[in-house]
Amino acid sequence: MMAYAVALPLVAAFLLPVLHNASRWLGILVGPAALVAVLLVVFQSWQPAVLPFAMDLGGFAPPWGITFYVDALALLFCGAVALMTLLLWPRDEGDGDADALVRRRSLTLLLAAAAAGLALSGDLFNIYVFYELAAVASYGLAAERGTPAAYAAAFRYLMLSALGSVIALAGIAIIYFETGTLNLAHLSLLAGELQGPTGMAAFLCLLVGFGVKAELFPVNAWVPEVYGVTTRRTAGLLAGLVSKLAVLVLVRLLVLVFPQEGLRDALLLLGVLGLIGGELAAWKARDMTRMLAFSSIGQLGLVFVAFSLPGTAGLVAGIVVAVHHMVLKPGLFLLAGQWGGGLRGLAGAARRAPLAGLLFVLFALSLVGLPPLPGFWAKFLVLTGLAGQGGGLGWLAMVAILVATVLEVSYLFRLAGRLYSRGDDEVPAAATGGGTVTAGVFGALVVAAVVFAPALWDEVQDMGAGAGDAALYVRTVGPMVPTMISGGAP
Amino acid sequence: MSITELLLELVLMPIVAFVIGLFMVLMMRRIGARLQRRVGPPVFQPLYDIVKLYGKRTQVSHGLMHDIGIVMAVGGYVAAETLLPMPGMNGIAEKGGLIALLYVIMIPSLGLALGVGQCANPNGSIGISRALTAMLAYDIPFVIVIFGVAWHFGTTNLVEIIALQQAGGIATWGAVEMPLLAIAGLFGMQAMLGKQPFEIYVAPAEIATGPMVEMGGKYLGGLFVMQCFQLYTAAVLYVTLFLGGGENWLFFLIKIFAVVAIPMSIAFLFPRYRTEDLVGLLWKWPVMAALIGVALVM
Amino acid sequence: MTHLDLLLLVALINLPVAWWLAGGATRRRLLALPYGLMLGMLLYMDPGATWDSGLSWVFLGQSLSWRLDGLGWFFALPTIGAALAAAAYSSGEWGEDFAGAGGSMGWLQLALAANVFAMLVLLAAGDLLTLFIGWELVSWAGLPLMVLAGGAAVGAGIRYITYAMGGGMAVLLGVVLVYVWTGSLVPADFMAVLPTLASWQVGLLVALFFGGFGVKMALLPFHLWQAPAYGLSVGPAAAFLGAISSRMGLFAMALVLVKFITLERLVDLTVIPGLLDSRDVLAWVAAFTIILPTYTALKQNDARLLLAWHGIGQGGYMVLGLVMGDAMGSAGGLLHVFNYATNQAVLLLAVFAVMHRTGTADLNRMGGLIVRMPLSFLALLIGIIGLAGLPPMNGFVSKWLVYRSLVLEGEPLLFLAAIIGTLGTILSVYKLIHNIFLGQLRVEHEDIREAPWSMTGPMLVLCAVIVVTGTMPGLVLGVVADAQQAIGLAVPDYHLGGVTSPAGGLDMLWLNGVIMAGFAVGAVLFYGFGGRTKRVHQLDNYAGGHFLTADVRYQYSDNFYPGLMHHIGGWYRGSFQWLEGALISVVDLLATALRGFYHQAQPAAWVLFTITLGFAWAVLP
Repeated sequence: MMAYAVALPLVAAFLLPVLHNASRWLGILVGPAALVAVLLVVFQSWQPAVLPFAMDLGGFAPPWGITFYVDALALLFCGAVALMTLLLWPRDEGDGDADALVRRRSLTLLLAAAAAGLALSGDLFNIYVFYELAAVASYGLAAERGTPAAYAAAFRYLMLSALGSVIALAGIAIIYFETGTLNLAHLSLLAGELQGPTGMAAFLCLLVGFGVKAELFPVNAWVPEVYGVTTRRTAGLLAGLVSKLAVLVLVRLLVLVFPQEGLRDALLLLGVLGLIGGELAAWKARDMTRMLAFSSIGQLGLVFVAFSLPGTAGLVAGIVVAVHHMVLKPGLFLLAGQWGGGLRGLAGAARRAPLAGLLFVLFALSLVGLPPLPGFWAKFLVLTGLAGQGGGLGWLAMVAILVATVLEVSYLFRLAGRLYSRGDDEVPAAATGGGTVTAGVFGALVVAAVVFAPALWDEVQDMGAGAGDAALYVRTVGPMVPTMISGGAP
Repeated sequence: MSITELLLELVLMPIVAFVIGLFMVLMMRRIGARLQRRVGPPVFQPLYDIVKLYGKRTQVSHGLMHDIGIVMAVGGYVAAETLLPMPGMNGIAEKGGLIALLYVIMIPSLGLALGVGQCANPNGSIGISRALTAMLAYDIPFVIVIFGVAWHFGTTNLVEIIALQQAGGIATWGAVEMPLLAIAGLFGMQAMLGKQPFEIYVAPAEIATGPMVEMGGKYLGGLFVMQCFQLYTAAVLYVTLFLGGGENWLFFLIKIFAVVAIPMSIAFLFPRYRTEDLVGLLWKWPVMAALIGVALVM
Repeated sequence: MTHLDLLLLVALINLPVAWWLAGGATRRRLLALPYGLMLGMLLYMDPGATWDSGLSWVFLGQSLSWRLDGLGWFFALPTIGAALAAAAYSSGEWGEDFAGAGGSMGWLQLALAANVFAMLVLLAAGDLLTLFIGWELVSWAGLPLMVLAGGAAVGAGIRYITYAMGGGMAVLLGVVLVYVWTGSLVPADFMAVLPTLASWQVGLLVALFFGGFGVKMALLPFHLWQAPAYGLSVGPAAAFLGAISSRMGLFAMALVLVKFITLERLVDLTVIPGLLDSRDVLAWVAAFTIILPTYTALKQNDARLLLAWHGIGQGGYMVLGLVMGDAMGSAGGLLHVFNYATNQAVLLLAVFAVMHRTGTADLNRMGGLIVRMPLSFLALLIGIIGLAGLPPMNGFVSKWLVYRSLVLEGEPLLFLAAIIGTLGTILSVYKLIHNIFLGQLRVEHEDIREAPWSMTGPMLVLCAVIVVTGTMPGLVLGVVADAQQAIGLAVPDYHLGGVTSPAGGLDMLWLNGVIMAGFAVGAVLFYGFGGRTKRVHQLDNYAGGHFLTADVRYQYSDNFYPGLMHHIGGWYRGSFQWLEGALISVVDLLATALRGFYHQAQPAAWVLFTITLGFAWAVLP
């Protein structure tokens, strides 16, 4: 069943241009229909009794076939992919270019398929393939506006991403060379062979390679420009979703293959740098989109910090932080799309659009962690984890998180103050209500998270425990890998 | 002590204080006369002055606060006198103590300041500005002195302070045990009384007597009464803190008149300081002396 | 549902109710009602008991619970009282004018209700996590009240929230550390473990909590935000904020530093061996907080800012008294919360009443208003006497207790600092009342009327509270004693008129009695004897050779105390402003550098650089 999560959007992506030519309505409906179907599949699979389970695609047994590992975490991300894509579905921007819209929707579906694949894949090679697929889709989306600035930004993105892919590929090659397999479960058994410097180098390659998309400092220099020039929906998709999936891949690797302390430290350090750097840059940003882009870099830094914590606590913290950001950032980008442009032009914007203003304040408050909003619990989990771990780097990270929060408050509420100031009322905001409504859905999710907090907490705990259990992974996938049963390297 | 006795004391204390204050004013004028080789006024001249001022036909009021200011100026001191023990009478000294007294005697100043304020005369306001600045200047050394004394005797109860000194004789007097604080206190008292060289806020030739510029008739009479109380209060406070209080009426009177005589004599020998010089002077020497004094006490 | 739940529920329901009531001119008259109800409920609850909440749940492995003890009760009283006064004040003409001028009464009342609710949630905190939740809610609830006025107030509000979040983060770190080091956030549990912690750990906790809560109290060096944030707000909001808002910091300090960590532990923490322990450090921070802001207030020319700066200084007395920790000192510090709240509320309400009529709070543009607004004058007069801490008002009692404690504990320099602050306050508040109400009435204010009853009413009621609790401090000292007991402090031997002590007590019944009798004697002497007085026009006065006409201005508050400024003027260096500016510059520089990183032409180089560095790190031992 879960194969549909990848297959449906993929097929829809290729069918969409054709169907669009056949019937306009079919063209409009096929994409959302595929995504809704994926959501249904995810819902249906969400049965604690059967999770986790593994499956191979196309009947080919590993190592030649494609292994999917389905646990609660993977399902969560699959569901999130479908839901986010649905909510951020490219709209008719009114520029009359129907072909461009079809292209955009097609690429979005492709991205969704690749993202779902990343969440589910159980071996490194497929992960690489899906990663590349996602990359290609996102290049297209980055350049979708077709302006010179968009092409420049997309080219910058392309350069960085391609270089990252090459490095990731090199890391995969090293791993294969060392162990002879790319199946994660198998690798988990052979993790001992990757303990040395070579293994660490391999992981660093993967970290840097996938880090490009995960907005990892310092290989994230594409972020502000790309988010600045694409549509806000795409920015929301890239910042909210794709970055998290790249992180998810790294987390799977850390849990299953690379349990070394030093690597966690590296992740922690880069996370801290990203966090502080992103927030500082955002503090200085002059337009709202770039401010959000920099803030997104900072938040991803926090995600890295959270996932660098050992054990279930780290996974739980990381999941909470990641999901929190996944919900907030698209919402904020949508609002930015509503208002658009430089900070100077935003004076009084919230007075003209009260609902959007309220949503902005809600998102901002959750982002800076006002209890009882979910952002607070995320921050609290990360901080208690860091404090429990201790160590110089841990203290540094704690201070960094707190300082970053103050910076965040400073720039977000400077902006809020501007939004609510009595500006000149003669420039009415572009009254496209759709963005606000979608942002409202994200806002509702935030509020729901407060209301259902205890239930969600139990769910996340289970999810974290499951995801952190390498032995469970091996047990689940093991029977499908003949070479593993025989117990030796090929 | 029965309540009637206490009430009687409360009535008597301000009256006695006023009478003594009148004589202090007289002494002040006599000293001035001696130093300037004049004969000086007759014994009842201060009283005559007050009666004369009250009896004047022209009584210019600048408004309700102007009137109430005078009421507060006199009334505050009337209240303050009941907090200062005199031989045989303690009034409510034990219910207030040193710190409360310090603050109660700010009430007349505040009343005066408010009254002058309503006169809408720039000279008056300038005078008050100077007077308040002077208060800030002299109160700093003065509170250090107060602290030192309270710490030394282990109490802020004035009755207790007197009892401790009288029990131990002259050797335990504040002035003997805390000479530096006694000197600093003297400085503070001089300024508190607004006597030369610290009479900057009156400055007759410069701001037309400052706070008093709009005061005539019984307004000035009220201030005259206030001055009597002020002299008495300062003298008794000093005697209480440093000279063992009054063992009996004779010693009490000798001590308080002697204490007042000192600033009077100095007053006629010095010119006036400018406000900033006054602040500088008071913040330098008395503060230093008082701080060293406290350090020695502790 | 327990009593506490009911109180919190009413406070919560008041949010939409206040919003709705604010909507119509007639409905507005009822704005004070919910607060009256809350006050009644609070008074019904015995401050000596502990009132548990039925709400409690376990989340993230933490149990959240709420309970109101004597300390919380004591802070809840002025909170609800101040809100009551503010709501009543805004329920009449003020509200109409505010709404008429484009202000949003709905937002104002909603924000006020939200503040009260958030504060009650904080005051009823039963563990450190609920304390932090309440803390953050209070911090954020204050923001809308501040920025309502628009203009410069928005900037002040954002500055506030940046400071407040800095403090909040320090508190959060403290909470997290307590949790990690003791394994619990429930007081009963972690208080058992706290004594076993190492000195550096406790020292760090003290620094984090004192610093964090201190930001809310605007203790030095975190004081810059408060005066503009409170002063530039709209009238009732400013009065509420000024009266009670920042005292939440004192509540939290009393709870965490005095009850949880205990003052004995603070004394054990040596900063400079033999010379300075951590309690001394806190006391000196408080002392500097008394002096510097008070003398900053002295220089202000805006009545609102002048009062707001005094608010910071008065907070210093509270902290000073509290950390002295003896029966009298802590009673004084806590009592001052109540007394100061009444004083500051009256003062700000009076100043805004004047502003309501004259349209300005600039001390150089007023004067002589006593003849036009006598009730406001009376309110301001009582308020300034209380603020300056002179008898017969209540401010004297609390300050007296603090002084008394400093003398008994043998702290001459702290005592001097406290007195210097009081003297500065006297100078400053005289300037305030002089420049508004005394001196010449300006031509443009000839036709001014007294503020309406809806505004003077709350002021006068508060004045009555000031006088009554000044004469009978025992009324409040009883509640203070409950608060002291709740945090494990000794209680002074108090009675209706004050306190008794072998080393000198205070009986305000007698003291105020003789003062009033003295005034009576003064009045008899003045009115009973001598010639009849004659009122003259304000310009009919002696000018020493100059003629005064209405166009001759002599307000010189710009430099009201030239002789003093000659000495201390040079000390106003704005060092803290400079520090704040320097910090912002550093952040700005770093931010610019980071932006440069993201705008560089060769981002790919960084990928290679990073991976090279990574390889080196992996390979090198």
